[in-house]
Amino acid sequence: MKLKQIVSLAGKNLLRHRRRTIITAGAVAVGLLMFILVDSLLTGIEEESNRNLIWFETGAAQVIHTGYLAERNDRPLKYAIDDAAEVEAELESAGLSATSRIVFSGELIVFKDPFPEDGSVMVTVYGIDPEDDDDVYHLPQTVSAGDFLEPGTNEALLGAWLAEDIGAEVGYPITIVTRTRQGFYQTIDLEVAGILNTPNPVINRTAVFMPEGVAADYLQMGGAATEISVASELGRTLPELTREMQQQIAGAPNLRVADWRTLAADAVAIAEAKESSSGIVLLLVFIIAAVGVSNTVLMSTLERTQELGMMRAIGMRDREVMTTLLVEAAGIGLLGGIIGIVLGAGGVALMVERGIDYGSLIRDTNVGYRVTQVIYGAWNLPTFGRALVVGVVISVVTAFVPVRRAVRMSVIDSLRRTS
Amino acid sequence: MNNTRTRTRYAHAATVAGVTVALTLATLVPLAAQAQPSAQEIVRRLEANRTYETSRAEVTMIIDDRFGERESTMVSYSRGDDEALIEFTSAAERGQKVLRTADEIYLYYPDAAELVRLQGAALRESMLGSDVSYEDLTGGKTLLDTYEVTLDGTEQIDGHRTYRITMEARDRNVAYPRQTVWVDAELFVARRSEQYALSGRLLKTAVMQDIREIDGFQVPMRTVISDALKRNSSTTIRIDSIDIGVRLDDTLFSLQELSW
Repeated sequence: MKLKQIVSLAGKNLLRHRRRTIITAGAVAVGLLMFILVDSLLTGIEEESNRNLIWFETGAAQVIHTGYLAERNDRPLKYAIDDAAEVEAELESAGLSATSRIVFSGELIVFKDPFPEDGSVMVTVYGIDPEDDDDVYHLPQTVSAGDFLEPGTNEALLGAWLAEDIGAEVGYPITIVTRTRQGFYQTIDLEVAGILNTPNPVINRTAVFMPEGVAADYLQMGGAATEISVASELGRTLPELTREMQQQIAGAPNLRVADWRTLAADAVAIAEAKESSSGIVLLLVFIIAAVGVSNTVLMSTLERTQELGMMRAIGMRDREVMTTLLVEAAGIGLLGGIIGIVLGAGGVALMVERGIDYGSLIRDTNVGYRVTQVIYGAWNLPTFGRALVVGVVISVVTAFVPVRRAVRMSVIDSLRRTS
Repeated sequence: MNNTRTRTRYAHAATVAGVTVALTLATLVPLAAQAQPSAQEIVRRLEANRTYETSRAEVTMIIDDRFGERESTMVSYSRGDDEALIEFTSAAERGQKVLRTADEIYLYYPDAAELVRLQGAALRESMLGSDVSYEDLTGGKTLLDTYEVTLDGTEQIDGHRTYRITMEARDRNVAYPRQTVWVDAELFVARRSEQYALSGRLLKTAVMQDIREIDGFQVPMRTVISDALKRNSSTTIRIDSIDIGVRLDDTLFSLQELSW
């Protein structure tokens, strides 16, 4: 019996048991649809999270002190770049967009009247150059109230969630208690100039921005900055960019270049965890499809035991019977895969266009990803191909056991058996 | 004639008065100089009075803020100026320990069986929500090593004559760039202290009360600490009992001992 005949027979069998075929293919389709949607969502989150990291926290890469990275969470001023302006100029001379920042931690103190309550909260303060910070970062576009910073003023910008939590409005006075580069306690009195509503939850929740020059004076930085950030360049890959930066600081052994992935190790770790969660989704899909397909094939072989016995009695070989049944399973997988892909494409299109509003969830919990409010899906075409292959393969694999069982039964037993 | 005599008598009286004043000044100025010790001497005696070879104290910390008043109790051990161990005994924090060595501060949480070395911003965090930061526990170098001290004069604090000492940091590795301490002129114990930020803003105030002599040391049994940047908030540290010069196990201030 030729393969063409076997495929034809399998096709006829699928059409003959149309309802069963559609139900089983539906189970496969639902599993694959789930896989495609989850993958799209996770890919979308990762892309947006990475973009928000680069646009608001790290730039594409930074020049930092060699000792800074290990203690970055403590924002240590002792590991600062002494001649920051010179290093920034070197980078800019190589055609890179660069800006320096002084990032430090402090306690934000507010007093009742005008604030609703006395209180304090730990914050991360970013001393930024108001004139060239937007060469690398995207803060000015996110001012939701008030104005952006003016250089040399005791002004501050607050993240929107932080401002909401403490009841801050434009014009309110705040005090930052921190330590100078040498370790002395210092207080910095600032006035809220504006509120920033960024798509980055870390910035919204804990960030205060102030002019770099003012921060430098209060912190006794003497021309030093904690980081010099560089924007990503069109036509230059990240390794090329960091290599170029490395060349520019080659004469400074106490400095190093770190790309955004190294700087945002926490977010990258979450992205890696996503890989395993995708694997878990795939496993669920496999289980759903496997149960559906194996059940269908088992039922169909049991129902058709006499028929299979007859086919074998009139000369059809076991291998041919087995191949017919496996082709049937592959057909179910293919059909389920196609339905899953069509539905998945519709779902992904909807998620890319409208997104899912996770606002309240992300507002109240720190999920690590740098995304806020609405999370959009992303097109990941290889996943569609993978889904189709997975649908067919698992259908065939799970059908194998009941099919083999059916052909191992003797022809006489098969013919005597009543369904 | 009479006028001449009168002038002569006045002149004599003036001479006598002048000599008397001169003699008095000549006598008193050296006496005053002897009576008023130098700022360094005052700080040295202040430190000698508060540095015990070893001590064990039962302490109650009363935190009073906008959430109300709450108490924590602890046992505190110290050896010299460098080493201290605080073990909380109140129900909510029972078993938590804070170890201060010459260079580090460690926290131990029994529920998590976790040992945490405090550094960076964590040192600025409040201890159990009080007005005392972990950093305030750091010791090490003496005041005279780290501060330039000057005697501003004398002032009355709660009816006691005190020396007002201003301390300007000469070592950049200290937390407070300026402190002012009012030292009791008789007992050489601090009656009040203030800590300032580099900007000149007052950060903290401590008032020492109920000073008692214990084993030759003047010990303030009650200290009220206020964070000047937090209104309506104060922390009272009350020493319920203290033994000075007690025998302490050599390993008490070790990391190994901390998690036991």
